[in-house]
Amino acid sequence: MASAGSGDEKAAAAAMITLISSDNEKFEVTEATATLSQTIRHMIEDGCTDGGVPLPNVTSKILARVIEYCKKHATAAAGEEGSSSSFSDAAFLEVDRAFLEELEEFDDAFLEVDRATLFDLILAANYLDIKGLLNLTCQKVADSVKGKTPEQIREMYNIVNDLTPEEEAEIRRETQWAFE
Amino acid sequence: MPPRRRSAKGKRAVPPGPGRGCASLDALPDEVLHHVLSFLPAQEAVRTCVLARRWRHLWRSASGLRISSGGENEAASMVELREFVDHLFLLRGGSPLDECHFSLLDIDDDDDDTRRINLWIRHVLMCRVGVLSLNISWHSGCWTTRFYLDDLPLVSGHLKRLELSRLHLNGSIVDFSSCPVLEVLEIKECDIFDLDRISSQSLKCLSIGGNCEFSHSHRIHVYAPNLVSLWLEVFYGRAPVLGRMPSLMEGVVKIDANDGDFCDNADSGNCEDEHCPCCYGIPGDTDCVLLHGLSEAQSLVLMSEIEMFIFRRDLKCCPTFTKLKTLSLDEYWCVPADFSALTCILEHSPVLEKLTLQLFCKGRKSKVQMEGSPDPTERSNEISEHLKVVEVKCEVVDDRVLNVLEFLNKLGICSYRFQF
Repeated sequence: MASAGSGDEKAAAAAMITLISSDNEKFEVTEATATLSQTIRHMIEDGCTDGGVPLPNVTSKILARVIEYCKKHATAAAGEEGSSSSFSDAAFLEVDRAFLEELEEFDDAFLEVDRATLFDLILAANYLDIKGLLNLTCQKVADSVKGKTPEQIREMYNIVNDLTPEEEAEIRRETQWAFE
Repeated sequence: MPPRRRSAKGKRAVPPGPGRGCASLDALPDEVLHHVLSFLPAQEAVRTCVLARRWRHLWRSASGLRISSGGENEAASMVELREFVDHLFLLRGGSPLDECHFSLLDIDDDDDDTRRINLWIRHVLMCRVGVLSLNISWHSGCWTTRFYLDDLPLVSGHLKRLELSRLHLNGSIVDFSSCPVLEVLEIKECDIFDLDRISSQSLKCLSIGGNCEFSHSHRIHVYAPNLVSLWLEVFYGRAPVLGRMPSLMEGVVKIDANDGDFCDNADSGNCEDEHCPCCYGIPGDTDCVLLHGLSEAQSLVLMSEIEMFIFRRDLKCCPTFTKLKTLSLDEYWCVPADFSALTCILEHSPVLEKLTLQLFCKGRKSKVQMEGSPDPTERSNEISEHLKVVEVKCEVVDDRVLNVLEFLNKLGICSYRFQF
């Protein structure tokens, strides 16, 4: 598998893309890394990446982390258009298993961030359309609210309850089937 | 809430750096929250409706659903589950779904419930679901049995990935002619002995594993001409017939010990008793069941319990592996002691670059690794001129492993580097 992908990787390695963060910092990455983002992939396809890709919604701090993620996962995706996620399940060789474990460890460590950073990563993943990163970060948020009461979730994530007690009671009646 | 607690909360919300807003879920757009909700059990996703005004209807558009029973915060009985899911489906309407996961284990074997679950599956297909995972089992009497899916083909122009676990599969469900974009099919712990054929033009990844039971009296035909990746484990029953797969990148085939392709009296399925059900029990059986379909793969892992005859029988009509670059084999290929099986497959792999032999260490991690390379001056004509690396992995270097090393030596493969 690795040997089959190396040709594409070499070709991609030659093409470098410059990403420009909101605070005007420039990051040079390979095309293989950049195209994990569907947004950037489309820009490359449309030929509008000369002179760099401005990303006004992403700070340099967050962009650096996003690139770190993409670099690590670009090798796993190895140019498999659209089916990169399916390949992770189909990788059975011992080498690949070890690599997948390493990738999982990387992901776990990657998520060791404060909530504000986590949300910034989610917004960046959403804007850049990086499916794997969006799944990873959204799953982290979902895991953190799993099994919590509404009060606990509100407190945890600073959600202001703007419902009157009457409204809340009404909603509970409306969705009683989910609270039983 | 006591004031102390309140101040603790206030403290946590203090931004860690300058210009940093507080970490509120409210900062995320609806589409992202729909995605977050898709990772929660469906009950919990719906219950977020009371968080705040904005959350009241978010659950209706969650991009995924996880419907399960029996766990914490989940419906305890099928009656409760029906009440919940019927409400959920009617009230969310036809909102499109990226993913839907059903995990209903040990539910009572009841005709009404079965009809209802099959109806739910059809409903989510109508919601244009892209990933569908069905893990459903019945509890009847004192044991768990496979859930019977309706004998109807799935029809969806959106389904990309299908995961089937613990089900009894019938003929129609694996006819994917009405699922033109299906790319990934995973079959785990299913009864598949009633299947004649798995067919899909679009399928790229196929995995059949985890104790699936194949038929004893016939072979399933796998027709997936655009497959890129195959994982096939024959746990019980007859190995399937693999059709041509010209785009196959990697294939893994494991044959477990069972009385399917096994005969006490012959090791290649060719005993002298013409009435032997093991060797001659399948009408119109083909000569080359597995290897022919795998012959265009770039990378293969072929493993089998020694007593199973299917690979040895296949080797009698061994195809040429025209694209095979990496090959991984186990001790099956090193018996009998003349190494005829290993020799045969090496002779038929003209562009092979890397050979791995994983010997006598099934299911365990190998402790000893040796890496050899062919000596260009002494390389046997029987092996690919492109072969660069031969890796041998084992638990201990015993006589059996030494025999293999000696054989490799005859092929001109020596100069080992050891790793422990």
